[in-house]
Amino acid sequence: MLLDLLALALIAVGAFFFVAGTIGLLRFPDTLCRLHALTKADGLGLGLTCLGVALLAGTAGEVVRIVLIWFFVATSSAVCGHLIARHVRRAANAGGR
Amino acid sequence: MPPGTALGTALGPGVDPGQSPARLPDLSGLRPRHPARRALIGALALAGLWAALTGGAAESWVMGAPAVLLGAALILLHPAAPRWRLSLFGALRFAAWFALQSVRGATDVARRALARRLPLAPGCRMFRTALPEGAPRLLFANAITLLPGTLTAEIEGDRLVIHMLDTGADLDGDLAALERRVAALFALPVPGAAATGAAT
Repeated sequence: MLLDLLALALIAVGAFFFVAGTIGLLRFPDTLCRLHALTKADGLGLGLTCLGVALLAGTAGEVVRIVLIWFFVATSSAVCGHLIARHVRRAANAGGR
Repeated sequence: MPPGTALGTALGPGVDPGQSPARLPDLSGLRPRHPARRALIGALALAGLWAALTGGAAESWVMGAPAVLLGAALILLHPAAPRWRLSLFGALRFAAWFALQSVRGATDVARRALARRLPLAPGCRMFRTALPEGAPRLLFANAITLLPGTLTAEIEGDRLVIHMLDTGADLDGDLAALERRVAALFALPVPGAAATGAAT
């Protein structure tokens, strides 16, 4: 019961960070600033959601799978963010003559 | 227990040369393992993953065993990456600090996103790192992205282009601290690590 509440709280806070990240994505002025919102806020949102779901998981295998999902999504988000930032900078340099 | 980290020849002071003489700088990383050992370790890791994903169901190995063998064979096609000593204590401390920074970074960006008027003064800065090429430098670049207000936009050798949400923040101080933590994690003493990379 207490564990359920804790899990629920973690997932709710995680969802809050996803929403905040999305608002940043919409409001921030340029691509690089938007990447900040995505990589940081969504990263924490994912971590908290995974933590909450792991608390509710029934078996050790499920926990391992959740950890793997977190790990691969976090890694790919960092790498994607970096690739997008690099592309933006190169495109700006090329376009700026 | 963690070796004193002495970083920052290129970065100014803050050097604390208290490293234990037992493990002095082999800054190019350890020598790669023998290919057969690499493949074996890879196969064991993949088999462990498969068992975790399938819950160890015996019939799943019809698919799993060939996939594991194929994956292990692919490892042999890749050039061996240099290995690094990981300090266990350093890793634990780094993980805890990393989690905390990730919360700080996300809170900071959420606060900015939800503020009535966007408190942004974005811009790019350059930072030269003394960390050796490979895993330490990549971890450094990715950790920067999690810190409040900073994002690694580009890596050019030992120079990192950092995008900042607020260019008024103390970039050099924050990054020098992060660099020391990464060095402690990899048990790097690191005075003048920049000189060891093949490309300078």
